[in-house]
Amino acid sequence: MAGATKVLIIDDDDDFRASVRALLESRGFEVFEAASGTEGLQRLPECRPDVVLLDIMMESSSEGYGINQAIKWREEYREFRHIPVVMVSSIQESPDLLFSMAGEVEMIRPDFYLTKPLDVPHFLATLESAARRSRESGTQPG
Amino acid sequence: MNSATQDAAPCIVVIDDDPAMRLSCRKILDKRGYRTQTFEDGLQGLEGVERLKPDLVIVDLKMPGISGFEVISRVLETDPAAVIVVITGYATIDTAVEAMKAGAYDFLPKPFSPDELRIIVERGLERRRLMLEARRQELERELLRRRFVTFVSHQLQTPLAAVHQYLNVLRRLEDDPHGAARRREWYERCLNRVEEMLALIRNWLTLSAIEGQCLAQQRVPVDPAPIVASVLEECRVLAEPEGIALKSEPVPEGCLCLADPVCLRVLLENLVSNAVKYNRPGGRVQVFVRRVKGEVELTVSDTGIGISKQYLPFLFDEFFRVRPPGGPGKPGAGLGLAIVKRIVTELGGRVEVASEPGQGSTFRVLLPAAGAASAEPSLETHHAA
Repeated sequence: MAGATKVLIIDDDDDFRASVRALLESRGFEVFEAASGTEGLQRLPECRPDVVLLDIMMESSSEGYGINQAIKWREEYREFRHIPVVMVSSIQESPDLLFSMAGEVEMIRPDFYLTKPLDVPHFLATLESAARRSRESGTQPG
Repeated sequence: MNSATQDAAPCIVVIDDDPAMRLSCRKILDKRGYRTQTFEDGLQGLEGVERLKPDLVIVDLKMPGISGFEVISRVLETDPAAVIVVITGYATIDTAVEAMKAGAYDFLPKPFSPDELRIIVERGLERRRLMLEARRQELERELLRRRFVTFVSHQLQTPLAAVHQYLNVLRRLEDDPHGAARRREWYERCLNRVEEMLALIRNWLTLSAIEGQCLAQQRVPVDPAPIVASVLEECRVLAEPEGIALKSEPVPEGCLCLADPVCLRVLLENLVSNAVKYNRPGGRVQVFVRRVKGEVELTVSDTGIGISKQYLPFLFDEFFRVRPPGGPGKPGAGLGLAIVKRIVTELGGRVEVASEPGQGSTFRVLLPAAGAASAEPSLETHHAA
């Protein structure tokens, strides 16, 4: 039987991580945290999350895109490629616009995109559906 | 523009109807390692310039067909940063002056020695490098201006979003067993974020005010001693929980500076609070004031994380913040030092920083001393402005 859904939060805002952690733990999720993109990548093997929650603007204004791209395309993270990434940012602008301006559109488009502050019911529903997708793709040989 | 320009050998286009001249230019320039292309008339030359995007154009003024003058104006139309050297067989000052008026960078009268050509080409290429650099900086500023709105709104939204989310989650955790303790902690965190945001808006308004007009409303003799004392007192609230000691030496006689007292306070507040914020627990902040010739020197030094050399050039830029390697950033928007810099500039002074990563930083502000003759010229320009 499947254990608790594991979520890795990659965000440099301590307060964002604290409130999301409390919310998710109250709903039975297992939560891991990373305060930077690099730390997030480092923690992947140890946490093996079902879903990654990833902030866009951290050290640089587009750090999250790079991290998403690393997870999805870099050979060394191949085994984590199936993990759905939920990107979050307080910028209201639709990321599709940003992505369509970039050359490698499909390489950086996140699986899900939410804006801060999170709309709690929508956020939880998104996580559930991401976790479902993760479990399904994770069981496929690949 | 031409991306190859940065690393490949500079590209030079020579346009001259005289085959001997084309050949000798080419020989001299090839020998110097430049990539040289020659063209025998203006039309082909323009086509070549369009295609090769050269770093330097050498053009004969008197050619059949399109004249050298027309080549100059057409090249500059497509690339305002183009550097053009004219060569002319009937070297009168008048034609040279005309060509320079049309936008040529320099002229070379025929006949010329290989060395003369080499020197003028080297100067021209240096000029080109500077122009491209200036243009790159201009583009960068433009990009920054455009991204500014996004950036500012992100800076404003982040703390608000954090507070909103705390409250929202708290509401959903009403029957949380750790409720009371968690609530207390989160209320504190919310307050901090709200204060951070208020400070950001306040700084932001200060900077916008300086943008439009002088922030310093007056330039009067000001005794920094009471301001230093009161700023240190203010910052004690920040420093004490971290065990950071705030120290200052008694201010010696004759340290009146010409300043706006309000600005001087804002300046010191920013420097001292930074020195506390970027310090280590149990560290020290020291403020010294002394007279150095025609100036008053205010020094704020700390025993904090320091600033690595690579960041120093950006330190006084708006929104720039130093992050400790690997660790989270400190609260704040990175406007404090931008404000310091502007105030100091307005007051006709200067600010310097010396820093050693892991050891601490020292900010040194020099302001014109009251009654110092040597400070007068810069003050007059300020009054006139």
